[in-house]
Amino acid sequence: MRQAQKSEARSRKFTIFFVTITALLGFIVSGGNTSAELTAKANHDHIKVDFFYHGSTVSVSGIADPGTDLIIKIASPEGHETLRQKGKVGGLLWMNVGTLKLGQVPNLYSIHSTKKLEDILDQKEMDKYIIGYPAVSRHAETDPASNEGEQSQWVSEFLKYKEASNLYTASAGKIEIKEKGGKQHYYILTAWPYQAPPGDYLVTVYAVKDRKVIEKTEAKVLVEQVGIVKTFSGMAKNNGALYGIISIISALGAGFGVGMIFRKGGGAH
Amino acid sequence: MYLYLPVALTSIHIFIPVGLGLAVGLLSGLFGVGGGFLMTPLLIMLGIPSTVAAATDSNQIVAASTSGTYAHWKVGNVDFKMGFHLLIGGFVGGLLGVQGIKILSAMGNADFVIKMTYVLMLGIVGMYMFIESLNSMKKKKGEENVQGKESGLSKLLKFLPVQTRYEKSGVTHSMLLPLVFGGFVGILAAIMGVGGGFLMVPVMVYVLRMPMHVVVGTSLFQILFNCIEVTFLQAYTNHNVDFILAVLLLLGSTIGAQVGAVFGRKLKGEQLKIILAVIVLVVTVKIIFELTLSPSLLLSQVGGH
Repeated sequence: MRQAQKSEARSRKFTIFFVTITALLGFIVSGGNTSAELTAKANHDHIKVDFFYHGSTVSVSGIADPGTDLIIKIASPEGHETLRQKGKVGGLLWMNVGTLKLGQVPNLYSIHSTKKLEDILDQKEMDKYIIGYPAVSRHAETDPASNEGEQSQWVSEFLKYKEASNLYTASAGKIEIKEKGGKQHYYILTAWPYQAPPGDYLVTVYAVKDRKVIEKTEAKVLVEQVGIVKTFSGMAKNNGALYGIISIISALGAGFGVGMIFRKGGGAH
Repeated sequence: MYLYLPVALTSIHIFIPVGLGLAVGLLSGLFGVGGGFLMTPLLIMLGIPSTVAAATDSNQIVAASTSGTYAHWKVGNVDFKMGFHLLIGGFVGGLLGVQGIKILSAMGNADFVIKMTYVLMLGIVGMYMFIESLNSMKKKKGEENVQGKESGLSKLLKFLPVQTRYEKSGVTHSMLLPLVFGGFVGILAAIMGVGGGFLMVPVMVYVLRMPMHVVVGTSLFQILFNCIEVTFLQAYTNHNVDFILAVLLLLGSTIGAQVGAVFGRKLKGEQLKIILAVIVLVVTVKIIFELTLSPSLLLSQVGGH
C-alpha cells in the first residue's frame, strides 16, 4: 500500500486529464424511502497508461442519506482466467500439476465499506450484488469442477493470488464521512494498481440500511494505453513479424555499437 | 524512474533491468553462457509474466552475445567452423526437443520431466566441472596439458569418419561429433526452455577438448544465432517479446559482456571453469529448494516453467 501511495504522487504528474463524471440517483430498491439520494463521482476516471505510468489513484466521492452505510465496489467486467495449479508430486516435490479454469470472476475487484461487511449486510444481499470476497468466491465457477471443499480451497487460493498481484483489495472503515446540511458526504482515495490492464472498470456505490441495499449508483473508470506504449503493444499483437525483426536488428545494433565503443576506448586489448 | 512495459503490462524501475543486464552480461562475456537460466527466473520474480520473461530474455541475449562474440572475435577466440557445425546440430536437436515436449505435454507429465532434466543436468554438469577443474588446479597445469592427455574415449573418436581440422581450436575431430553433441544439447535446451550455453560449454571443453577461451567465444557465437531464431519465433507466434524491457536489459548486458570478455582474459581457463561450476551448482540448489519448500501461492500464470 505504501508503495502505491508513493506512486500516486508520481502518476499524478503524468496525468493531464481530470474528468469528473457524476452519476445521479440510482434506483430505489426499497419503495418506502422516497427522499433517498445517493451520488457518486470518480475523479481521474480516464487513466492514461503512458511510458512513465506506475499506477495511479482513483478517488470516489458523493452524497448519501444520513443513517446509511456505504459500500464502494470497483470491478472489471466478469471474465474467465486460466492458471497453473501447483501440487505435491510423490509427497515431496512441488510442481505444476494441472491448470485451473475460473469463470465469472473479475480481473480487478476492490471493495471498501464504512463498516465490516458482515455487520451491515445480509449474505443474501452480498450474493445478489457480489459484494465481498465470500460472495465472489460463491459466484465463481471452477473447472475441473470438484467437490465443494476443494472448489472453495482453490477459489481462496485464487483470491490470495489476486491480492498478491494487487488486483484484489478490501478494506473496512476507510471511507471518510462528513455530515453537512443533513447529508453524508463520503470520500475515499484508492490506489490504482499498474497491474490493472487497459479496459473499462465500473465503480458502484451501494447505500445500505437495515442489512439491505436500498440504493446504488454507478460511475466508470477507463484505462487506456497512449503514445509509445500503445504503439508497441499494438505492433507486438498485430504485426509480430516486423516487431520481431525490429527487436532483433536493434539488439544486433546495440551489441555491435557497444563493441565498437569499447574498441575505440581501447579497453579490449 | 519507473517505465511501463507495453507487452509485460507492468511497471519497473529503470535501474533494476539495467543492473540485472549488467550482471548477467558479465557472466555471459566471462563464461560464454547466455545467462537465460539466471535471468528468466529473476525477471519472473520481478513480476514479469513468465512467457514474456523467457521471450524477452532471448531478445536481450542477441545483444549481449553480439557484444560478447565481437569482443572475443577481435582477439581471435571464435572458431566459426566449429560454431557452424554445433549450430546445425543444435537446430535439428531443437526441432526434435520441441516435438518431445509436445508428446510429454500430451502425456501430462511434462513439468516433472522438465524439472528433473533441469536439476540432473545442472547438478551433473556443475559437479563434474567443479571436481575436474579443482583437480587440474591442484596439478597446476594449464590447458595445454588437458589437450595433451588422450583418454580412451578420445582415441575411440578418432576412428569416426569425416575427420576434419578445427584450426582455431587446434583440434581434429569427426564432423559428426559437433553435429551429434550440438543436437543433444539442442534437444535438452528445447526441453528445458533455455539456450543451453551451460551445457554447450562443458561439451566443448570435455568432449571436443577445445581451449576454454575459444570455447567462450564460440559458444557466444552459437548462442547468438539460436537466440535470433527464438526471438523471431516468440515475437511472431506468441507476441511475447517486450521491446522496452529488452532495451533496458541490453543496455546493461552489452556493456557487461564486454567487461566480462576483458576480465575473462585475465583469468586462467581452470579458474573460469570452477567459477562457472559454482554458479551452476548454486542454481541447482536453488531449484531443489523451490521444488521442496511449500510455495506461498499455489496458483501461477500459465506459460513458462
